[in-house]
Amino acid sequence: MVEAARRIEPAGAALTLEHVSSGYGAVSIVKDVSLSVGQGEIVALLGKNGMGKTTLLKTILGMVALRGGAVTLGRQALAGLSPARLVALGVGYAPQEQPLFQDLSIRDNLRLAVPSDRMLPEALERLFGHFPFLKDRLAQRAGTLSGGEQKMLILGRALMLRPRLLLIDEISEGVQPSMVERLRGVLQAERDSGVSMLVVEQHVAFALALADRYAVLKLGEIVDSGPARAPEAQGRVIDHLAV
Amino acid sequence: MLLTLDILTTAAILFIVSIGLLAIFGVLKIINFAHGAWLTVGAYCAVVTAKIGLNPWAALPLAFVIGAALGGLAEHFIIRPLYRRPLDAILATWGLGIVLGQLITLAFGRDVQLTPNLYAGTVEILGVDYSAYRLVALGIALAIGTLFALTIERTRLGLSARAVIMNETLARSLGIDTGRVRLVVFMIGAGFAGLAGVLLTPLTSVDPNMGVSWLIGAFMLVMVADASYLALAAACLVFGAAQVLISTFVSPILGSIAVAVLAALVLRISPKGFSRA
Amino acid sequence: MLETLPVAERAAAAPRGRRLSRAAPFVVAALAALALWIAPPFLDTFAVNVLTRSMIYAVLAVTVDLLWGFAGILTFGQAAFFGIGAYATAMILGAYGATPLGIAAAVAAALLAPALLGLAVGWLSFYHRSTPLYASVISLVVPIVVVQLIYSGGEWTGSSSGLVGFDVLPFEIEGYFRLAALFLIVVTLAAWILVRADAGRALVALRDNEARCAYLGLNPRRLQIRLTASLAGVAGLAGFLFANASGVVAPENAGFLFGTELVIWVALGGRGTLLGPVLGTVAIDYLAANLSGDLPFLWQLLLGTAFVAIIILLPGGLADLVGRLWRALPVGRRVPAPPRLVARTAETEATAAATPILKVEGLAKAYGSLTVLEGIDLEIRAGELVSLVGPNGAGKTTLMRCLSDGTEPFTGAIAVGGTPITGLTPNRIVGLGVGRKFQVASVFESLSVADCLRLARAPHDGLSPVGQAETLGLPQPALDVLRMTGLDRLLTRPTHLLSHGQKQALELAMVVALEPRLILLDEPTAGLTKAERTTIGTVLKALTAEGRIAAVLVEHDLDFVREISSRIVVLHQGRLVLDGTVEDVVGSELVRTIYAGGAHG
Repeated sequence: MVEAARRIEPAGAALTLEHVSSGYGAVSIVKDVSLSVGQGEIVALLGKNGMGKTTLLKTILGMVALRGGAVTLGRQALAGLSPARLVALGVGYAPQEQPLFQDLSIRDNLRLAVPSDRMLPEALERLFGHFPFLKDRLAQRAGTLSGGEQKMLILGRALMLRPRLLLIDEISEGVQPSMVERLRGVLQAERDSGVSMLVVEQHVAFALALADRYAVLKLGEIVDSGPARAPEAQGRVIDHLAV
Repeated sequence: MLLTLDILTTAAILFIVSIGLLAIFGVLKIINFAHGAWLTVGAYCAVVTAKIGLNPWAALPLAFVIGAALGGLAEHFIIRPLYRRPLDAILATWGLGIVLGQLITLAFGRDVQLTPNLYAGTVEILGVDYSAYRLVALGIALAIGTLFALTIERTRLGLSARAVIMNETLARSLGIDTGRVRLVVFMIGAGFAGLAGVLLTPLTSVDPNMGVSWLIGAFMLVMVADASYLALAAACLVFGAAQVLISTFVSPILGSIAVAVLAALVLRISPKGFSRA
Repeated sequence: MLETLPVAERAAAAPRGRRLSRAAPFVVAALAALALWIAPPFLDTFAVNVLTRSMIYAVLAVTVDLLWGFAGILTFGQAAFFGIGAYATAMILGAYGATPLGIAAAVAAALLAPALLGLAVGWLSFYHRSTPLYASVISLVVPIVVVQLIYSGGEWTGSSSGLVGFDVLPFEIEGYFRLAALFLIVVTLAAWILVRADAGRALVALRDNEARCAYLGLNPRRLQIRLTASLAGVAGLAGFLFANASGVVAPENAGFLFGTELVIWVALGGRGTLLGPVLGTVAIDYLAANLSGDLPFLWQLLLGTAFVAIIILLPGGLADLVGRLWRALPVGRRVPAPPRLVARTAETEATAAATPILKVEGLAKAYGSLTVLEGIDLEIRAGELVSLVGPNGAGKTTLMRCLSDGTEPFTGAIAVGGTPITGLTPNRIVGLGVGRKFQVASVFESLSVADCLRLARAPHDGLSPVGQAETLGLPQPALDVLRMTGLDRLLTRPTHLLSHGQKQALELAMVVALEPRLILLDEPTAGLTKAERTTIGTVLKALTAEGRIAAVLVEHDLDFVREISSRIVVLHQGRLVLDGTVEDVVGSELVRTIYAGGAHG
């Protein structure tokens, strides 16, 4: 982990975490995590349930208070900034738990993600570029989409404001293999256009095929990390995850 | 016929009185026990309007603006520290109601104030002479209901408010300034309460404690409606009908507690009240 | 502080200190009674009259404080019970005169009528999954209804003008003053003894964490209803005294506004302190009587402002401020002596291994159209330590919830020791021998470690309503948990000062103290350090090894699971996909795929 962080020059890092700790109430979930994501790089964050992956994303986003350490976006320190400020700074977020307003229309779900209605048409254009099927279904309730379609809506919503940094939580969960491939294509295209991503995953094969580097989180600490395409990566990660 | 008109207009008045409380409870999950005081403030706006010789209807915008401004202050200084203590928020807003009531007493005295009728006389409908103002109130209730519905369903603020009601965490993570949404909704709710105070002046005597008698009914209706304005309209119709019928056929005194008792029983049977229907 | 004393010295000091502190309230009460007994000649008539009323109101404040400050039930309804007591007195004395029989009837009616109504109100306010807000709503409706009934009572109740001119007790105003003083002192002393006794901790426990109470086998509903009814009776007696002392009763005495005034006095004096509300009520009511003549509105304005400020800035009221100053003084900081821990022999008889402790057949559960559990069959016998694993959303926590709360809507059958649990509330399932530990440590934040443990023993040993037991009897496994985690040296420490790990251990000790046959643990190691996890693992293994009880745990830490389980059950997308030994599961290709994220239904 430490050597992985060192390999990226600080100036080139889109996102830097230094000794980050956070948690809820008396419980500390994330413990002393240091990690960086370079410009146009995808880092996969792997680990089992309850190991602190989602909490780490929420800490970066300012939804969970930082208890120690520092989070830096480019050169901007993020401590104390509201999620609204982070969205304005170019952070996109695709949450995993209750990620959509199920009872609202798809259009309203998307409207809520843009700061003003004036920006909606342009954002929608971008969204349809990735997922054209949504074009005819804007009036539909989000809850009526299939599981895979909902994931595309969640990802599209995070992409449509041209973020610099994407935080993605288990986008492949419950999605058919063919659709998983499509999601991977979209994410890699975005990466190639310079977007940085921190991708939380449990689907190891998908994560390693997608990412440039991986890190494994266990009980809130990073226990392993390395280049994602290294031949031994998959075996090592599964050893950390399986029984 | 008379009974039908009574039921409709009673429901309309209940709706006018409760809608501001509902807006606040829906988004902030806080019960504004100073709601009665806001009704009183609104009614005194009508008194002031009359004193300085303006058209009585001018009291409506005045009451809305003053109600909303006071609401903004209350949200910032009293409600915000108590979001995590909802029962204490009931008490603090009750205390605020006392303070407002006493300030009004200091300024205007505790005597009953006379206000000009907003719309005098009676009209004949299908052979019945009926108070013109109650019919106007019915129209105004429909107008307020429509305005409220349009705000909720069509505007960006309404959308944000619904998002906060449904899932505040998600709303926040998408970059919605939920604190601002709460403030604005509280101001609007307080503004509507002020408006309702003006509209009550032809129906009730205006004194510093007038709001309290309306508070409990409005509170019970909002509990039953659970953040849905359509459910509130339904609750106003059902309980308004019960109130009119019991007052007419049994006793006016039992009629006056009908709303509170029936609402309590409905909540006991179905904690979500009317909102599920 | 005591921790620094040598053990022998501490043991010697404790009983003497305890005896002293036990006598202190009685001494204070006797002194107060004496002072108030001789006070009337030194006061003018106005003061005697007003203070008599203030002291009767203070009795009501004590009842509001017990309900709200201690048990967490914000109530505006005490005014209604007071009013009913007063009206019952006035009506009976008016009809039959102040004969011995009339007085006895008036006392009985003033006590019983409100208590019965209190029973009904309690039944209406408290039910499984009722909310505190609902109880407050009902407490608002009650005085409004009572006042309207008084209005419609015609000659019986005097309608809006109330009742005057009924016979009263043969006392002068000094006599009423002394009677009110004695009544106030007796009620306050009784309340003081109750809240400091073990049973009083149950009230605070209800306020802190009603769910935990239910999952300790206490019946929160019954406690709340009993408290409501008995304090309604006390309020009614205060009404009896008030009717006699003032010679007039009016609808306002029963009204919602008076109910809110009571709450204001208690809040200003300091909820949860008893003396704060008593002194606060007397002071505010007396001041009001003196000041409101000269500056009535300004006085109300000041009171309202102070109330808002206190609620926001100083929720503990003025008593909290005084208490903080007092504790800052060296004499004020006294640590209570901890109870002595003793081992209890286990009461659970060994279950025959033939009958499963838990039997689940065809269990299914859905939230709307979303199926969370489907076709679950499971049998667990004594001595087994079964781990429930599976990815997020597999339905593990939902399964645990169904096992411990029969009112969850599910289909299929769950039986504990042969008894079906469908429809049973959690406290009744605890009675069948099921103990549940929650994912987030669920303890009583305002109580001490010893109090939490004592509450866990309440279904077995009961709680003393008058005193604090000097010993704390716990089954050996619970003692082991305390010893291994060092909690046995922290018995007097307030729970909110414990670390996260200590809280988890305390909750485990509480659940073990219930002597369950089946123990359910939801992620007992979440957020714990390595050492703490090892301790919990050791405890669980020792518990089940004796072969008397079974444990089911949901766990994400698979290393931990592998170490301690006798059997592993794998859930995936609401179905039970694998049920076998540790080796079966560890070697399973299916489990590897599930965890690698490959298996999608």
